[in-house]
Amino acid sequence: MRINRLAALLLLFPGVLPAQDNGMAPKSYDEKRGGSDKVSLLKRVENNPGPWKAADVEIEQEKGRPFLYVSGFVNYNSKIYDITNTSNPKLLYTWTIQDPELHRGIGAMDGKYFKIDGRYYYAQSLQFQQGTPDAELGAVILDVTSLPDASKVKEVARIRYPATPGGFHNTFAYKHSDGRALYFATINDSKALVYDLGKIVKGDPESSWLIGAVPNPTPMKQMGAGGYHDFYIAYDPATKKDKFYGAGLGGYSVWDVTRPEAPTQEFTVTSLGLDLAHTFTPSPDGRYAVTETEYQYSPLRIWDLEPGQSGKTENIDQPIAAWAADWQTLSHNHEVRWPFVFVSGYEDGLQIFSLEDPKNPKTLGRWYTCECTHEKGFGGSPENGWQGDHSVMQGAFGVDVRNYDGLVVISDMRTGLWTFKFQGFNGWNGRDHGQPNISSVQDWDRGPTAALTP
Amino acid sequence: MLKALCVAGLVLAGSATPFDIPLRSTSAAPTAKGAARLQYAASPFGVAVTADGRASYDVRFVLDGLPEPATLGAFTTYLAWMASPDLKTWRRLGTVRNGTTVVGQADLNKFLIVVTAEADSMATERKGPTILHGPSPSTWLQSMLTHPLFRGIPPG
Repeated sequence: MRINRLAALLLLFPGVLPAQDNGMAPKSYDEKRGGSDKVSLLKRVENNPGPWKAADVEIEQEKGRPFLYVSGFVNYNSKIYDITNTSNPKLLYTWTIQDPELHRGIGAMDGKYFKIDGRYYYAQSLQFQQGTPDAELGAVILDVTSLPDASKVKEVARIRYPATPGGFHNTFAYKHSDGRALYFATINDSKALVYDLGKIVKGDPESSWLIGAVPNPTPMKQMGAGGYHDFYIAYDPATKKDKFYGAGLGGYSVWDVTRPEAPTQEFTVTSLGLDLAHTFTPSPDGRYAVTETEYQYSPLRIWDLEPGQSGKTENIDQPIAAWAADWQTLSHNHEVRWPFVFVSGYEDGLQIFSLEDPKNPKTLGRWYTCECTHEKGFGGSPENGWQGDHSVMQGAFGVDVRNYDGLVVISDMRTGLWTFKFQGFNGWNGRDHGQPNISSVQDWDRGPTAALTP
Repeated sequence: MLKALCVAGLVLAGSATPFDIPLRSTSAAPTAKGAARLQYAASPFGVAVTADGRASYDVRFVLDGLPEPATLGAFTTYLAWMASPDLKTWRRLGTVRNGTTVVGQADLNKFLIVVTAEADSMATERKGPTILHGPSPSTWLQSMLTHPLFRGIPPG
């Protein structure tokens, strides 16, 4: 009888039980192909030729705008796909930096779409090395309103920041509670820049575009370093503040950017092992957070932010849990759709885990997209094909989730664009999970306070 | 990712000297190689500058491995160009070939040297494929006020 009950449970939850054990031996690298039974592959698309194909990926979120953007990394391009049929993405448009052969650097890294006054735009962040063309160029902005008619897509602006060559690595387009569309950008300096996208696309003087900067207060600033690597901005319903969650050299910090012209520091998350802080994503209510540190063998850490959010402490230094797809590798970016966390896990591809119990993360599914050789990742220079030594930086770089239908996409550095369906996940609205409807997805028409009303 | 970019930058910086520009080939002609050296243009004052104070250089090319232009398409010659770092401004410097050639002048504060294959040796607009390219050493300069060591110290 007991055996029958166990068998019935396994049939009900076929992919869950074996994956829950984070202590189990990881798969050998030769076996990292295909996926678990709760994740269905819809399509893989080779978006660029050559050994390196993609950096980040971005999906538009409005019904009637089935478009997806892939940052082309060292190919120095962006590709726009029509995903009306998610099982057959159709290439609509390719933007490439002029004279790509003259450029050097890691190129097209992060793309964000935004909407202002009924028009749609796509901002492609770029990174070219100092001493080479366009080292001052941070982003190119395309007007993509006409899609799927790609003939009318046009470049409307370039954001340059000459003070610190090297461009923008990560960016975040945010609909602020005051109604403005803002663009946060990392630079090679110990602060993040804040641009007013409305001024940029309306053709206001370039000197008016930059409206603020968020300092990085974490310890490596004293060493002459300390720039941000990534950030997440969200409205905090409890305090009615717009909050900036920054990850940079030295650790993590939270800022009140309700007035982006004058950010004020709230608290930090710093401790041993966090110098290479990379990504910082809170839960919709700001209570918990998932963080990444960019070095091999590092897990994603889970934090309870309550002591900082409530003002009880200025620094949090103890995570409450950790999660890793494979302790021998490294997970990269992630998207939180509470309680689910969708991870672009470099060599471990798409990984999905649950934070329903934040102290006990549970793996729910995966799909190995890298199909690569372990520790043969990115590095080096163009002369050796950007081939690094003992690098695990290859494979799933970016991940995005479409909230209205639950489409999951991965951009893989080695293999390109992948589209997936996570069984039972047919979309996400925070209210269905007892949370405000807040994620990286912006409500460009109504702003973040709309998340508080049905 | 940041580490990879730094390493690549150091490799690039390490090969540069104040007047030498190592040139990189492209997939159009992978066998091409060479370097350019900036030498002050003729001047009665020893150091040549423009009227508004920018240094003016002749560019001495030493090239090797350039294939016959016609093997690359409908081309007859190789032209050297000076381009601004944002690639908006281009100026023809002159024809170059395997061996040593001196053309000029290059007089932007920061610039890129580019060699292209062209159909017309007198072309004033770049149309052909890039064969070799390299940045002027001055492109590595930036305002020291933005350097972390100087941050917080007001100018003046």
